[in-house]
Amino acid sequence: MGILSFMADFIDSLAKRHRLLPWLLAYALLLPLPFVLTILFNEYLIDLANRICLFILLAVGLNIVKGFCGQVTVGHIGLYAIGAVTSAVLSLEPGGFGGALGFGWPIWAAIPTAVLVTAFAGLIIGLPSVRLEGAYLALATLGLGESVRIFIAVTPALGSSTGLMMIPAPRIGSFVFDSFTSYYYLVMTAAITGIYFSFSILRSATGRAFQAIREDTIAASVNGINVVKYKLLAFVLSAIYAGLAGALFAHMPPGYLHHNNFTVIEMVTLLLMVVLGGIGNVWGGVIGAIVVAIAYDQTKDLVFYFMDRPIVFQPLVFGLSMVLLVLFMPRGIGGWIEDFQRNRRFVRRSEERLSGTARNP
Amino acid sequence: MGFDYNSLLAFIIFGVTIGVVYGIVALGISLIYSGLDIVHFAHGEMYMFGAFFGLVLAHNVGVPYPIALIGAMVLTALLGMAVERVFYRRLTRAGGGYTVAGMGMIICGFGMSVALVNVAYFIWGAEAEPFRANLDYIPRLSFPGDIEVPESYVLTAIISVALMAALHYFLRHTKTGLAVRAVAHNKDIAYLMGINVPLMISLIFGLACGLGAAAGVLIGPMQSVQVEMGYLMLMKAFAAAVVGGFGSLPGAIIGGIMVGVFENLGAAYISASHKDIYAFLLLILVLMFKPSGLLGVDAKVKA
Repeated sequence: MGILSFMADFIDSLAKRHRLLPWLLAYALLLPLPFVLTILFNEYLIDLANRICLFILLAVGLNIVKGFCGQVTVGHIGLYAIGAVTSAVLSLEPGGFGGALGFGWPIWAAIPTAVLVTAFAGLIIGLPSVRLEGAYLALATLGLGESVRIFIAVTPALGSSTGLMMIPAPRIGSFVFDSFTSYYYLVMTAAITGIYFSFSILRSATGRAFQAIREDTIAASVNGINVVKYKLLAFVLSAIYAGLAGALFAHMPPGYLHHNNFTVIEMVTLLLMVVLGGIGNVWGGVIGAIVVAIAYDQTKDLVFYFMDRPIVFQPLVFGLSMVLLVLFMPRGIGGWIEDFQRNRRFVRRSEERLSGTARNP
Repeated sequence: MGFDYNSLLAFIIFGVTIGVVYGIVALGISLIYSGLDIVHFAHGEMYMFGAFFGLVLAHNVGVPYPIALIGAMVLTALLGMAVERVFYRRLTRAGGGYTVAGMGMIICGFGMSVALVNVAYFIWGAEAEPFRANLDYIPRLSFPGDIEVPESYVLTAIISVALMAALHYFLRHTKTGLAVRAVAHNKDIAYLMGINVPLMISLIFGLACGLGAAAGVLIGPMQSVQVEMGYLMLMKAFAAAVVGGFGSLPGAIIGGIMVGVFENLGAAYISASHKDIYAFLLLILVLMFKPSGLLGVDAKVKA
């Protein structure tokens, strides 16, 4: 625990100078990651890092509605799909391959529009939450999310079974984000900004209203919180995260989008990230996203041969670990983080009290 | 082009038959919900396992179709009880409901569902297998206007009605059924009345999974049997359960029939490729405007 406490103290001292300093430090530390990965391993891992960044955005966004506000939504992957497909379709050239729609918009117009469209979709997915709770809300959001995927899968204009191809890569001036390394800077920036804003939301009056609704809806409304407004706001905020992740996913090299990226397996993976991280804990969600995404990627191609038949067993491992996590570690990694923070605070207070420097003994 | 009433009638008849199957699965989901206040997200996999058990019994063991049906129901009921006993018990022991951070059971069910699909894939592979059943002894039904209903559809209707009647009799007219209803009503008081509540919870799970298996074996001859059949069925059964009123047993069947008819009419008159979306559409409409469903006794719109 020594190193951890030291790091925590260091981050605290940085934050005392300026609250953005720890974030800048993290950003600076993450900058050379693609080169480190290329030297130590291979370029494929940069692609994995990109996808991890998108998953972090998704998990952090899901945490807002599920962890902060306590609304059970299972349709998040549908929002991700809406963001991805909207941005792809808007930026594709008209008359594309296989009857796919295309509007030929510039990408920097397509991505914000896709985020806006997804925010609106989030409002619609959130509407049932006004009247429904628990199981019903889960069913309604699951139905909405899944119908998005099926709609994409059967509509030729949105790619249907062939998927959308040749989605253009973003560019600034003559600099094109078309390689894994250049795209990494785009998604990494998005992920860090996303995490930062998620903390801002958590600490703001809005975040406190969310938490009040999570703890007790009736008590929150008695205290003058507009429950309907804040529930919908939580859905919209998380949809913005999902829409941004989706849009960035669509333009990621190789610029190919298929509805298989939005199946229930992905939803399960996303849930696993949030559960492993501990529901409601931002850093837990981030760590969960990293761990699960790496585990998912590394076990994807694992097969064992049984009677000369290749057998994929990754879903079994994932499903069972999810069940066991809920049963035996319901607070997830976030539980450890909270315990660590509480211990640290307790130790520091005791030290201050012993040395007589406590402000209010 | 005149409106063809005969084909409309045909769509409705087929919709009702497939809807009854949705209804049976929904019956199981509703039973678990009314008994334990949890939504079982792995129920589609019970249906899939039931279909495969029936397939194995009918093809590899070679028993006649009705016996395969009963055998599959018993096997799946045992499987369901085992899964509940081993995995869900820590959550259901607290009386069900949303205890762990509001969504423990949802995540647990999701995980179980993915894991069970993978297990089935170990055993039976990913190919769709046709379910060959000899049903020559069942008469074909003919309706005016050249509508012929195949044997498997007739059989489905008969067996579904029989299952519902049996479930109704069990719940309303036997002592064990009374105990199950008492557990569904209030677990603490049921304990005080000397009811073996954990056993009854197992029984509820077994019954629900057996019903799911029956639906799987019934739908086998109409479609083929494959590992990933459970998920869509689950969604449609959810839609059926919600439309009829979650937790209401007659409502589940009525909701199932409504979903089946709605889906068939939509596929026939709007767009056939969007067939699977209509069930969700109906689900969302009902949830928006009447969350308690058609026959929901009291709006259990709480966690």
